[in-house]
Amino acid sequence: MSSNEMSKMKFYCDDNRCIECDGCSVACAEAHELPTGVNRRKVVTLNEGIEGKEFSTSIACMHCTDAPCEQVCPVDCFYVREDGIVLHDKNKCIGCGYCLYACPFGAPQFPRDGAFGTKGAMDKCTMCAGGPEETNSEKERHLYGQNRIAEGKVPVCAAMCSTKALLVGEAQEVAKIYRQRVSSYGKGVQSAPYGW
Amino acid sequence: MDGNASMKGKVMRKYFYFIIATLFLASAAYAADSQIWGDMRVTNIFGYGQVESKNLGPLFTMLQSEYFPMIFFGILVGVPAAFAMHYLAIGPKVFPHGGKKIYIFSVFNRFVHQVAALSFIILVPTGFMIVFGDKLGGGSLIRLAKDLHGLATVPFAIVVIPMFLMWLKDAFFNFDDVKWMMIVGGYLSKEKRPIPAGKFNAGQKMWYWIATLGGMIMILSGAAMYFMDFDIAWLREITGLSQIDILRASAIIHNVVGFAVVALFITHVYMSVFAIKGAIHSIIDGHMEEEEVKILHSSYYKKLKDQGKV
Ligand code: SF4
Ligand code: SF4
Repeated sequence: MSSNEMSKMKFYCDDNRCIECDGCSVACAEAHELPTGVNRRKVVTLNEGIEGKEFSTSIACMHCTDAPCEQVCPVDCFYVREDGIVLHDKNKCIGCGYCLYACPFGAPQFPRDGAFGTKGAMDKCTMCAGGPEETNSEKERHLYGQNRIAEGKVPVCAAMCSTKALLVGEAQEVAKIYRQRVSSYGKGVQSAPYGW
Repeated sequence: MDGNASMKGKVMRKYFYFIIATLFLASAAYAADSQIWGDMRVTNIFGYGQVESKNLGPLFTMLQSEYFPMIFFGILVGVPAAFAMHYLAIGPKVFPHGGKKIYIFSVFNRFVHQVAALSFIILVPTGFMIVFGDKLGGGSLIRLAKDLHGLATVPFAIVVIPMFLMWLKDAFFNFDDVKWMMIVGGYLSKEKRPIPAGKFNAGQKMWYWIATLGGMIMILSGAAMYFMDFDIAWLREITGLSQIDILRASAIIHNVVGFAVVALFITHVYMSVFAIKGAIHSIIDGHMEEEEVKILHSSYYKKLKDQGKV
């Protein structure tokens, strides 16, 4: 079991490096052609203006191991892949909003579809792994955006992150990189937060 | 009586304006900045399971994943099963229809009731369809149920306050109701002994409060979930909740009050259609068998008699 757990895919945003450039969220929106108002990824700044405490970080679906969204969905449209990526079936989703209430990160998004502001099917970060439709089909791209994982590519947000604050990959790999960074703080050139 | 009618007309018009104003406010609130995914997102995130938060996120997750559908299933199966047993073991009360009748429900009463009844006939099954959406495969069928659930709320929302007002004075509990409870409304036997009850018996009163006050709670909590990203600052201020916690609280309240509403709705249908044969006609044509009033609403009958109305 533990070896299984170790190979789960995770995001991690190193807030020592995040410069609030918003590149990740723009890249995400463009790559997946998201409608305006749907932000699968968002950069937020905490403790704004408080010296020494202010930092920015990038948030999206964290692909929780115990995915609360999956536990509450009344139509059971979520599925968790072997590698831990949490995906959902938009054709099943009724746009009830329960997943949003359960989610600790405010990740599920709801495009305003119909008249009277009815909510459309939920949209969220797929870790660039598409959805239940045929892999890399037009239908999959239309509903869920690119399936970069199937093509062996890194999710677009992390791929383009200029400071490499946003990390993604197997949990232990991400942890390893972060550990190296932490242990090299204050040594040589790496002492500057962005490394240049 | 006539002066009363014009008063009623004025009240109705005011009420109508009130509804329009509410809708207008809702749309204004709707157009504002996002309270969920905008600047408020961090506030919302901090509300999740932190020590100083209300812990509504984990609470909702636990309740919805482990209890809500199961309890609804228990009600859906349990309540009708109990009544089926009652029907088989004790059987219905049958009153002769064709005897003298008493006029009980005015046209206005019946109209309001029928609008609410039609709404409930849609609201309750579609609500169940959403709760058991996974068993029904989700998708367009459940999406339709969800849309109908929202749509059927509108007529109910229009009549719920008139209904609340028109039956309020008959719905306060009194000593008759205690006696009624002691004998479970006389439903445990087929004997026709006068049963202590006014215009409404204790069971009907319970249903009245759940349907009106509970109904209003259902409307408000449902509307919150439906509009989701609205901006009502005072609501956040007086509750001390972030937007997302208001939604979580709404979902919890909607389900819990929903238990009571559906349980009593099923009871109401059973009583009026099956347990007391033909009782449903009183809300259709406004008349009730004198015999039925005499037995089932004995205190009310006495009052009518004292007033010389029968
Ligand atoms: S949507 Fe939210 S709850 Fe579900 S996996 Fe993503 S972060 Fe976790
Ligand atoms: S909005 Fe869709 S995915 Fe989310 S809980 Fe409802 S049906 Fe499931």
